[in-house]
Amino acid sequence: MPVRCPIGFDVASLRAEIQAMYGRVADAPGGDFHFHRGPEYAATRLGYDAAELAALPAAVTASFAGIGNPHAIRPIPAGAVVVDIGCGAGTDLLLAARRAGPAGRAIGVDMTASMRERARAGAEACGLTNVEVLEGDATQLPVADRSVDVVISNGVINLVPEKARAAAEIARVLKPGGRVQIADIVIGEILPDAALLDIDLWTG
Amino acid sequence: MIDLFNAAGFRDAAITRHFDCFAGTSKERTARRYGVLGVNLLAV
Repeated sequence: MPVRCPIGFDVASLRAEIQAMYGRVADAPGGDFHFHRGPEYAATRLGYDAAELAALPAAVTASFAGIGNPHAIRPIPAGAVVVDIGCGAGTDLLLAARRAGPAGRAIGVDMTASMRERARAGAEACGLTNVEVLEGDATQLPVADRSVDVVISNGVINLVPEKARAAAEIARVLKPGGRVQIADIVIGEILPDAALLDIDLWTG
Repeated sequence: MIDLFNAAGFRDAAITRHFDCFAGTSKERTARRYGVLGVNLLAV
């Protein structure tokens, strides 16, 4: 089940805490966090191709903090327009750009400035000219209606209190026949309000 | 997650894989307590 947002939850504080947390992940990915980061984790626990990760800049993959593997769901077709919601430093985004190829486009959206900077620098370092990195979040995608073939995301929707709004926004940007292939968190039981109001649990 | 995407008009939303992504982290106990897992999800 997705995590519901309790009445009275401080959404603004959550957004600020998420931006601060992932700003720290961008600036110092080797720091003390309560989630895994980096390419070794991605390859050994999530099934990413180690060689593909090694071909990306270390500054990108060091800040990877996903919780699943959207690329393992279905291959990104050549020529596809892909949006990566909460692209972070760009690991999934740059893999998508390579798979979409020069006829395709990979658009990363992230609300944390330092992550966007890393993703842009990573695309440039890889010589990928089919990558755009834009400011935004899951509830307000800076993308036209019905313009996207595949929406990917990795560990982001669980951080969004307005989940129904995020799902509607994804539906808005997808072309007819487009698809969502995301990795995210599910919980096995209904959480008590004390847990739902704990921002540390949300940002984890 | 499946209900979320089905309610937004998608069909055939499905979880395709699970990941024990908090194993070995300081949140492992919390994750086990609440049954928290990473998943891959496909919706068309």
